[in-house]
Amino acid sequence: MEKVLEINGLTKMYKNGRGIWDISLDIYRGDIFGFLGPNGAGKTTAMKIMTGLMKADRGDVYIFGHSVSSDFEKAMEKVGCIIETAESYPYLTAYENLRQVSRYYSNVDEKRIDEVLEITGIHRYKNEKVRNFSLGMKQRLGIASVILSKPELVILDEPLNGLDVEGMVEVRKLIKHLAETEKTTFFISSHLIHDVELTCNRVGIIFGGRILNVDYTENILNNYASLENYFISEVDRNGKI
Amino acid sequence: MERFRAAFINEIEKMYKKKKAIVIVIISLITIIFGQLMVIAIRSGLGIRGVSSTDFPLLVLSVFVNTILPLFTALVAIDIFTGEFSHNTMKIALTKPISRLKLFSAKIAAVAFFVLINLLVVMVLSTLTGFIFNPASINAIGLVRIVVSYLVTVIPIMALAIIIIFFSNVFRNSTAVFFLSIILFIAFKALEFVFPQYSSLFFTSNLGWYNLWISDAMPFMKILRQLLIMLGYGIMFFTAGYYLFDKKDL
Repeated sequence: MEKVLEINGLTKMYKNGRGIWDISLDIYRGDIFGFLGPNGAGKTTAMKIMTGLMKADRGDVYIFGHSVSSDFEKAMEKVGCIIETAESYPYLTAYENLRQVSRYYSNVDEKRIDEVLEITGIHRYKNEKVRNFSLGMKQRLGIASVILSKPELVILDEPLNGLDVEGMVEVRKLIKHLAETEKTTFFISSHLIHDVELTCNRVGIIFGGRILNVDYTENILNNYASLENYFISEVDRNGKI
Repeated sequence: MERFRAAFINEIEKMYKKKKAIVIVIISLITIIFGQLMVIAIRSGLGIRGVSSTDFPLLVLSVFVNTILPLFTALVAIDIFTGEFSHNTMKIALTKPISRLKLFSAKIAAVAFFVLINLLVVMVLSTLTGFIFNPASINAIGLVRIVVSYLVTVIPIMALAIIIIFFSNVFRNSTAVFFLSIILFIAFKALEFVFPQYSSLFFTSNLGWYNLWISDAMPFMKILRQLLIMLGYGIMFFTAGYYLFDKKDL
């Protein structure tokens, strides 16, 4: 299987003593990887380093074989991501926001912008300024900008934040659809265990800044009643609670 | 280069859509009209000629370059860096396939574009105003002097902008950077009078370097010296600013 994302010994310490320690992970093409952990476990820190928003103290991340720290442009060429919150320029319209993103890629035209607006269900707000958008609409626009360039790897930090039930179901469907039809690889962080169980085919548990275990959802559900039971057992086994 | 271009166009579009640029042009226009009214008042009230039509744009430039233009440039430069960091929108571009060096350079290029356009708008408006109120004294040499003066002013203003951009990457608060820029500007202006022998080393003294370009005997060595001083400022603060921009964790 082709390795899409490789995380090697990633370490980042904050002044308050928290952070991540020696995180290593391999993500393969077609994976919908769930990065599961409670608030403050280090999910966002790891994802910020993966997308170049933060520098690691030690270790490196390789995306499609390119180092994020030394070959950023190549590494991010086929990546779409939302980290923490889906940001957009409030004084631009939804269309203008997507056009800003499209300029970094050669494969995006007007038709594709309309297409992603349609997929995410905000086409009728195309020419509205984002400052008038609700949190859920901003999240949809964020997802539209992520899939705009047809990325091969999508990194999403808490992608369902702010979405209503309908929105959650649609995003879940979209993730599965892209993984099946376009072989898009997903790296999704969440603290919502049920959501990860429904969406992801591989799960990694992060707790207290360390990776506790990585396994396939199918294997986990063969041995445990639910992902929640597995999570509690893993955390317990590692003597953390 | 493609991605630098993309980032540059994006920055220009954001500047334009924020309407700040339009407000700045309107304020510039008001300043010119106000300046011309002052000249007319002096002419009719005191009976002195005031300025000819080709001198008026230079008079406007001398005031503009020491007051409003640095202020506008500071506003735009701070907005493009500190503003984006504080509104969390910087990560939109930082997570795209563009290196931080290219993004940093594209943002500075956008500020330079803004400065150039602002100067050109003021040049055209002040030349037209001067021509309308005093059509008799216009001549080709005068026009060339105007164009040269306005164009070369981009360089000292950009040296100043790069210093402000450095501070925009040091502090997280836009207001703090804005006031620090103003205080430093006034302090260096004051130092020019206290230590006139060293004034050519201060970045604020270079704002009037267009005067060297339009003097009767063009002092090449002096122009070159001032250019090198400005380049020195530019290279030092660009490097320091980029270092901070590159190391910044979001």
